[in-house]
Amino acid sequence: MAATMKLTRTETKLFARDPIALFFGLIFPVVLLVALGFLFPGFDEPVAELDGGRYIDTYSPIILALGIATLGLVTLPPILGAYRQFGILRRLKTTPVHPGRLLTAQLVVHGSVAIVSAALAIFGVALFFDVPLPESPVWFVVSFLLAAASIFTIGLLVGALVKTSVAGQAVGMAIYFPMLFFAGVWIPRTIMGEGLRLFSDLTPLGSAVQALEDSWFGTTPNLLNLGVMAAYAVVAGVLAIRFFRWE
Amino acid sequence: MPVIEVEGLVKAYGETRAVDGVSFNVQEGEIYGIVGPNGAGKTTIVESVEGLRNPDAGSIRVLGLDPIADRYEITERLGVQLQESRLQDKIRVNEVLDLYASFYRNPADWHDLLERLGLGSKEHARYADLSGGQKQRLAVALALVGSPELAILDELTTGLDPQARRDTWETIEEIKRSGVTVVLVTHFMEEADRLCDRIMVVDHGRIAAIDTPDGLIRRIGSEQRMRFRPSEPLDDALLTALPDVTAVTHEGAQTVVTGTGNVVHSVTALLAQRHVIAQDLRIEQASLEDAYLALTTDELVETGSEVR
Repeated sequence: MAATMKLTRTETKLFARDPIALFFGLIFPVVLLVALGFLFPGFDEPVAELDGGRYIDTYSPIILALGIATLGLVTLPPILGAYRQFGILRRLKTTPVHPGRLLTAQLVVHGSVAIVSAALAIFGVALFFDVPLPESPVWFVVSFLLAAASIFTIGLLVGALVKTSVAGQAVGMAIYFPMLFFAGVWIPRTIMGEGLRLFSDLTPLGSAVQALEDSWFGTTPNLLNLGVMAAYAVVAGVLAIRFFRWE
Repeated sequence: MPVIEVEGLVKAYGETRAVDGVSFNVQEGEIYGIVGPNGAGKTTIVESVEGLRNPDAGSIRVLGLDPIADRYEITERLGVQLQESRLQDKIRVNEVLDLYASFYRNPADWHDLLERLGLGSKEHARYADLSGGQKQRLAVALALVGSPELAILDELTTGLDPQARRDTWETIEEIKRSGVTVVLVTHFMEEADRLCDRIMVVDHGRIAAIDTPDGLIRRIGSEQRMRFRPSEPLDDALLTALPDVTAVTHEGAQTVVTGTGNVVHSVTALLAQRHVIAQDLRIEQASLEDAYLALTTDELVETGSEVR
């Protein structure tokens, strides 16, 4: 346990020394939402194409999900790839501490950053644009944790298989951008056609956006969306453990 | 009891037998060298000893333990430096030592370790800012931070400049003095000659020889060569008449006398008697490098087809 704590502390310091990861992982969601709200005319006004909803309310859960995906699919896999490539995992294998603890430390660090980043975004949009704080807080937390679990285990699976940092980056990105599309970053789910939305429901990030939006505005999340995220978390998690290569 | 006992070790990757029936013992307190050409199986042997690889056949005992079954206990007592392993660029020297020290039951005082390895002034430096030699010495520090009884160092000085290499040699001698048994994988014969008590020569996954450095050199004969420019002409017949001389040749103005046993003494006595001065005198003896080349070449001829 002491070793895991120390590993987590060390990995936190290393994360904090990477300005790019710090920016995109920690403050990008709040910066993006606040910038969109101030720069786009009518972003915080009710509009007809969203059935009288506001863009800022629609985009808040989307950008929260984007934040999780950035950490899980863009930041995490290259780190794991590098740790394998540099022999850091192998080196740990020759000590009394199993390299699995380093993975735990990474998940704790990325998970903590995701939570802080989401909190910044939630308070940011509440402060500037009167977006309410999550109205079903328990369901919101459940949705957020399931979203993080599904995305991070996919990132872990990518990290389990790639041999290098660059490969981790490439594969992570190749999953990241399609996921963002289905999450509604470019076309919000409310505007998507029926078929596209169903497809989006079957992706972890699409389901994440729906569950976060529902619980944020006081509706109990769909069992389908929660189930999809849980299923991805379990399947990717089992595969990651099964196929993880320490060298 | 030997610190390492390996009996009939076999490890194959696909069709290739990287290690093919290797047996050896390492005694407590010695520096044991493992030398051989690239791809000879050196790293596979030490990684099997470290428990990183599961052998196909044979038995390994390290400190009386099984590297796979008793993995945890061995990691406490065995320090390792891996070939081609590095650390995170942005980690600081003190952070990584503090971290690794927390992994062990009885960690060494890493401040003291840093001083001994000449890294005291680099305590707060980032890994990326260390020179190659400093990185290697940090790898040694990490191998020793758990106060191990045995340290395995794989190609520690590869890629270092001559000065850094010599500094690292002093470090290894220092480790030995502190009572730690050392296994050293290297392909520098000068390094093996200077540091090792015994050397195992590996070639094509098999042991070509195990002996002390001097023992290995004696195996290829004790022939010596004297090279000098006589101050006055000297009849070759006088030299060839000496009992220890086997051959006399000329290279330009230089006379080259080859012989065994007391050849140096006999020739100098003859020259003194004749009032001839041996100018630019050089005496060449077989080196470990010669022995190594002879041993590994023989093996190459023996196995025939696999000429590299």
